[in-house]
Amino acid sequence: MSSALAARSALNARLASTFTRRSLRPLVVHARSVSDDAYVPGGPIYRGTVNDPTTFPPPSKSHGSYHWAFERLLSAGLVPLTVAAFATSSSSYPLLDGLLGVSLVMHSHIGFDSVVVDYLHPRKFPVLGRIMTWTLRATTVGVLVGVYQFNTNDIGLTELIAKVWHA
Amino acid sequence: MQSLVARQAVLRPSALKSSARTFATSSVRAQAVPTEKPVLKKEFKIYRWNPDEPAAKPKLQTYSIDLNQCGPMILDALIKIKNEIDPTLTFRRSCREGICGSCAMNINGQNTLACLCRIDRNASKDTKIYPLPHMYIVKDLVPDLTQFYKQYKSIEPYLQNDNPPADREFLQSQEDRRKLDGMYECILCACCSTSCPSYWWNQDEYLGPATLMAAYRWMADSRDAYGAKRKEKLQNELSLYRCHTIFNCARTCPKGLNPAAAIAKIKLELAAD
Amino acid sequence: MSSVRVLGLGPALRQAALKPRANAFRMMIPKRGIKTQSLPPSAMTEILNTQRLKRPSSPHFTIYQPQLTWLASIANRMTGSALSVLIYGYALAYLAAPGVFDSAHVIEFVGALPEAVKYTGKVLLAAPFAMHSWNGVRHLVWDTGRFLSLKGAYQTGYAMLGATAVTTIALVLL
Repeated sequence: MSSALAARSALNARLASTFTRRSLRPLVVHARSVSDDAYVPGGPIYRGTVNDPTTFPPPSKSHGSYHWAFERLLSAGLVPLTVAAFATSSSSYPLLDGLLGVSLVMHSHIGFDSVVVDYLHPRKFPVLGRIMTWTLRATTVGVLVGVYQFNTNDIGLTELIAKVWHA
Repeated sequence: MQSLVARQAVLRPSALKSSARTFATSSVRAQAVPTEKPVLKKEFKIYRWNPDEPAAKPKLQTYSIDLNQCGPMILDALIKIKNEIDPTLTFRRSCREGICGSCAMNINGQNTLACLCRIDRNASKDTKIYPLPHMYIVKDLVPDLTQFYKQYKSIEPYLQNDNPPADREFLQSQEDRRKLDGMYECILCACCSTSCPSYWWNQDEYLGPATLMAAYRWMADSRDAYGAKRKEKLQNELSLYRCHTIFNCARTCPKGLNPAAAIAKIKLELAAD
Repeated sequence: MSSVRVLGLGPALRQAALKPRANAFRMMIPKRGIKTQSLPPSAMTEILNTQRLKRPSSPHFTIYQPQLTWLASIANRMTGSALSVLIYGYALAYLAAPGVFDSAHVIEFVGALPEAVKYTGKVLLAAPFAMHSWNGVRHLVWDTGRFLSLKGAYQTGYAMLGATAVTTIALVLL
């Protein structure tokens, strides 16, 4: 008796499952495509169900704590560097002036880069974000060359600012 | 039965006479007109959006209620409006005493709990009520907090330790326990996260102050053994480092907590690793 | 009996036996006008997502109360960006045309400007520089774990504003 019951329920279950699968397949496929393909970062549709946790990008210290610490050390270094460069004259200490120039450009680059990451991240703006990131990188290289040229062929940043201020 | 009625009839005159004074005063008290409070009408401008008419743009709807016929808190005003003026007004509320975190909303430009926010009795100024900023709106003042909860889940907000003490519970010194004060009280109302400009722009990847403080709550717990793993997860440019120490989170927290300090401590610990 | 059970025909036979009577019973009841549609649980996601796509995003910085916290932060970013744009612009200009943008020409150009323009220019340069520098120091102090309370944030904030004002005046009068 019990074996007969088990056989019956198994048969029914199999029938039921094939029925559901066949009649609902288009809906299921459609639902999956909406949730996965329609995902836009920051958009109203989320990855996975409400019970799935969000995921983390692969860990990378150079994008994390190293970047943060470098940025702080650089910023902190700018304070004595600026004071020293303006206290002396750039013609007598060209290296100090050059160091200030390079540090300022790197500080600016990190600042601009965090602006791009905050407002125009490539995951949200795949075209514009990448254009901005690479434009920034190219510009920074150009600026570094410009600063080097100015500091070697002309009077140097500190002296320029000092002279313009009293012009 | 009849004798009882008769006895009562006999008793009644004397009973009336003996308690005449008591009855007199109480009846006067019952008839006394309560001192009429003046009508103090104040305007509430409330953000409205109805999912049944998705094409209609969200708008501010003005309601005017008498503050002297209303409780002292913004939540009282909302409930009064819903009860008496417009039953379609939609908002979340539950405990009405600042422990459930349901009624988080932006009141006069500041995120807070409606049940902990007093109504400004200055009737000449209107009160503007918006939902939590930069969130997708389900209806009126109800934001979709799905992402917020998914992020909270992602930091594994529970004790993880592979070597529990064999014969008893985890023990913790008073000093270690004190490290959790100011963090465990968080009720996850999302006021801080939705006040954070970084969270506005990057909430799909940046975890936001509430979740990060919860993450630090488990890093700082002496009983938890997964600190290194918890820290490693945050080693990327988006999850943690979108925090620019703006301090909107600490400014707005209705429980007086300080997520900004917790995040700063995470950054210091990550840099020391 | 047991063969019927194994085949799972029990319910079907029973239904067939009941059918005529059930039909007769149904004919007496007027048909309901409501049609229901049964959906599997998996369809939930799609319904939810079509709703989500219509949801508006609530207003943010336009309605948020102006506070020292986030206004100082955005001012820090704007002053920093403005000064950096200046450095970048000048360095690129010098790179492109060193003959036009060399120091002698620049100093000569600035020297020829009227006094009012010079002082305005000095204020426009000194104020962002002072603000970004002092606020930068404030951030560095926070990053070492000091003044990390709401009170500390406001104290250092007002101190930063005061120092900015003093430094700006000092730099302009230098």
